[in-house]
Amino acid sequence: MKKTELLLVFFSFLFLWPGLSFALNGKSNIALPLIEDAIAEDMPYDSGGDILLRWPADEDDEGVVYEIYAKTESSENEWKLADSFKAFEKTADKMRMPFWAWSHGSDEYAVKIPIKSVDGDADIGTVLCFKIKAFRDGKPIAESAILCASSDDNWFNLPRLNGLLMVILITAAFFMTMSRAKKKGLFIRRIAGLDAIDEAIGRATEMGKPIYYSTGINGMSSVNTIASLSILGEVSKKVAEYDSIIKVPHYDPIVMSVAKETVKQSYIEAGRPDSYHDDANFFLSSDQFSYAASLDGMIEREKPAACFFMGYFLAESLLLTEVGASAGAIQIAATDSESQLPFFFTSCDYTLIGEELYAAGAYLSKEPMLLSVLKLQDFGKLFMMLSVLIGGIAIALAAVFHCDGFVKGLLDFFTNY
Amino acid sequence: MLIIKKYIPLAIVTIVGLLTLATYYVPAKASSAYLSTLNQWEVIVSGFAFLLGLISLLMTHYKKIAKRVDGWGYSLFVFIGFFAVVIPGIISHGAQAKDGVLTSLGWAFRYLYNPLAATMFAVLAFYIVSTAFRSFRIKSVQAFVLFIAAFILILGNVPAGQMLWDAMLGWTGICGIGDIIQWIMQVPSVAAKRGIMIGITIGAAVTSLKIIFGIERQYMGRD
Amino acid sequence: MKDKLRRFLRIDRRWIFLLLTAVMVWPIIHPFGLSGKTSQQSVRDFYDFVEKLKPGQAVILGTDYDPSTKPELHPQAVAALRHLFSKDVRVLILTFISGAPGMIEELNQTVPAEYGKEYGKDYVIMPYNPNYMAAMTQMSIDIYKAYDKDAEGNDVRGMPVMAGIKTYKDIAGVIEITGTGMLDAWVAYAGDKYGVPIIGGTTAISQLGFGPYLQNKQIRGLVGGMRGASEYETLISKPGKATSGIDALNMAHLLVILLILSSNLILLVIKEK
Repeated sequence: MKKTELLLVFFSFLFLWPGLSFALNGKSNIALPLIEDAIAEDMPYDSGGDILLRWPADEDDEGVVYEIYAKTESSENEWKLADSFKAFEKTADKMRMPFWAWSHGSDEYAVKIPIKSVDGDADIGTVLCFKIKAFRDGKPIAESAILCASSDDNWFNLPRLNGLLMVILITAAFFMTMSRAKKKGLFIRRIAGLDAIDEAIGRATEMGKPIYYSTGINGMSSVNTIASLSILGEVSKKVAEYDSIIKVPHYDPIVMSVAKETVKQSYIEAGRPDSYHDDANFFLSSDQFSYAASLDGMIEREKPAACFFMGYFLAESLLLTEVGASAGAIQIAATDSESQLPFFFTSCDYTLIGEELYAAGAYLSKEPMLLSVLKLQDFGKLFMMLSVLIGGIAIALAAVFHCDGFVKGLLDFFTNY
Repeated sequence: MLIIKKYIPLAIVTIVGLLTLATYYVPAKASSAYLSTLNQWEVIVSGFAFLLGLISLLMTHYKKIAKRVDGWGYSLFVFIGFFAVVIPGIISHGAQAKDGVLTSLGWAFRYLYNPLAATMFAVLAFYIVSTAFRSFRIKSVQAFVLFIAAFILILGNVPAGQMLWDAMLGWTGICGIGDIIQWIMQVPSVAAKRGIMIGITIGAAVTSLKIIFGIERQYMGRD
Repeated sequence: MKDKLRRFLRIDRRWIFLLLTAVMVWPIIHPFGLSGKTSQQSVRDFYDFVEKLKPGQAVILGTDYDPSTKPELHPQAVAALRHLFSKDVRVLILTFISGAPGMIEELNQTVPAEYGKEYGKDYVIMPYNPNYMAAMTQMSIDIYKAYDKDAEGNDVRGMPVMAGIKTYKDIAGVIEITGTGMLDAWVAYAGDKYGVPIIGGTTAISQLGFGPYLQNKQIRGLVGGMRGASEYETLISKPGKATSGIDALNMAHLLVILLILSSNLILLVIKEK
């Protein structure tokens, strides 16, 4: 009898233990169903700032809320909520990645956790641990095992492969056009504004008045300023040949130093080093409207025969050209700041639009190597036009015939990641 | 001499140009460290360049005063303006306000620089109006189309124009002037701008290659 | 008669300047009170962006304008800052324009006090940095390498307003108020490269140039000129300087229309090409 009672007590205890344990600890330790196949890994193609968590998405997930808890491996701290989202909100297909770098689809979840959000001091190599919990109606229904991983910096951003291919393609075309440049001549359409440069300089020589040349309000690291300096080189060479006077007021001191060398070199090339004055280039102000006010004052007082505005301009464009026009100067402008083009059109004699600014240096120098590269610009435009036309038609057709994969692939290729 | 004046600068341009281009494709820490260093160098160089600009500015105007060239009196104002801002700047350690009270620099900024700069920008409005009067002449079909678009845009951009449109054409219920403006701005205007922008981008990309590979070296004196 | 009309076409531009002055001074002295109608989607997008921000999120407010564009841009900055503060958003004010610190000081002296905001806790003013390209790139790696001290020279690392902020990833968006090319720069160096949402405020003259960016959502919202500023002021129910200047703007626009019409009518009458 005693043995039977003991066995009864033992079995009762065995069945009651989970309930008792819950009552004692105040929370459940019942093993929840496991979220299987969950993995934590270094986020590919990044600079080491994120960890990627992936696990399969189930069709029955509707109404489920996922919570991701994280902590550093070494810390004794509590788990910290790192992310929370509703089912199907963060499936792998929603990750902004192109098809050649990411093959995961809507059948799994993919969540990026920034390592700094887990621990402010975390860095590349710090091991972080994660726990994924699933809730339905506020109650836990599943949990993953503890997943640990560390982030690493990667050496190639694969999603940007399309951009790299394009750079390689342009570079190859660049060298190809250059190698062909020496073999045969090239037809270049006339650019009236550039042909008028001779006329403007000749006029200045006859009138005995100076020429003003502005390189715009951008710094030396801007391509438009470099293009402007190329034109300045050619213009000042002609000025030296005609024995006229050029004045180059500057907005940026670095550009001024470079322009000094450019003008000096042009005078040497023209065989007139003695005519060169170091004060042809001078600094005015790095403040947009102070620059405009100073230059306006000089134009108003000296009444130059010609004004060149080549480079990047903003609201000061009309302030400069209106004063130049009222002073009776021939004005030639070139800018890639398209919002200012209307102002230059209305108040200048000749305006070079956008890309013509980049072509002008080559056009004036007549150097075969530089001229040949203009061809590349035209090829580039042709490529863009065909891409827009064919791409537009292809996407429209694919939409009609429901070829979603094809549309995504095509759009991926032309997207900047 | 040719090595110092030509080959070394060209090698620097090519190497730094290619490395900087590569940073866009290499996310590794070394890449961002390189970019960081380069940026810091640029800040340092531009700091020194400011000094260079200042010397150039003061020397140019000093020469004008010394030689008594035409308009040398204006050059005096450069010095007056310069000292009127720099001296208060040094006294107030560059701060424009202290404990809510304007310093002498703050005063110079608010009551000298503010009105002067505002005047320059305000002049633009006058120039735009006079240019519009002189240049907006309908001499071709294209100019007429441009005129219609501009007319609607100007009219629709002011409440008075909107009220006028509603009073005259509102009863038709076809569309508001705002819808027409939105269409003009988002379809023909953006289409034209995109065309120009694509041309500019291609031009800039090709020019960048010319610079990186040393084909375009006019800016450093060709040979 | 035709000679007189011809002479009118060649009128000295200073007469036009005088006419414009008269036309604009009049409504400033005697306002008509023509209210602005909100019709620009881009202004509503700007408003919606700020409206959706959650308390505690951080935003960069780029104030790259100087006194020259103050009448158009300062009301935009004031309205944006008021809206941000009303949503309890943390604000990092910075500039790359040498004339802007004075404008920021004016903002600092007025707006935070209206909302009881505390410097260092709710907002911070970074020092003027002349090299925007370097700073914008640097902030993608480590904000503190671009800005380790505030405009007063205090260490920003310990400030509560900077808690948890390291790179663009910790920033909810950049609001750039400028008449310069700085908005393009933010799009190119922060928006496109690192995915930070960019919202802009600009002068009426530069507004048209941002059409393609708006269409591509590279800029999520745009307030343009005084008109845009007055619309934004209406949306946040805080009428300010822009709303009061709209009458003068109205009259100037009407004058432009009249001048263009009259010059073309004269051309038609005298049949001169």
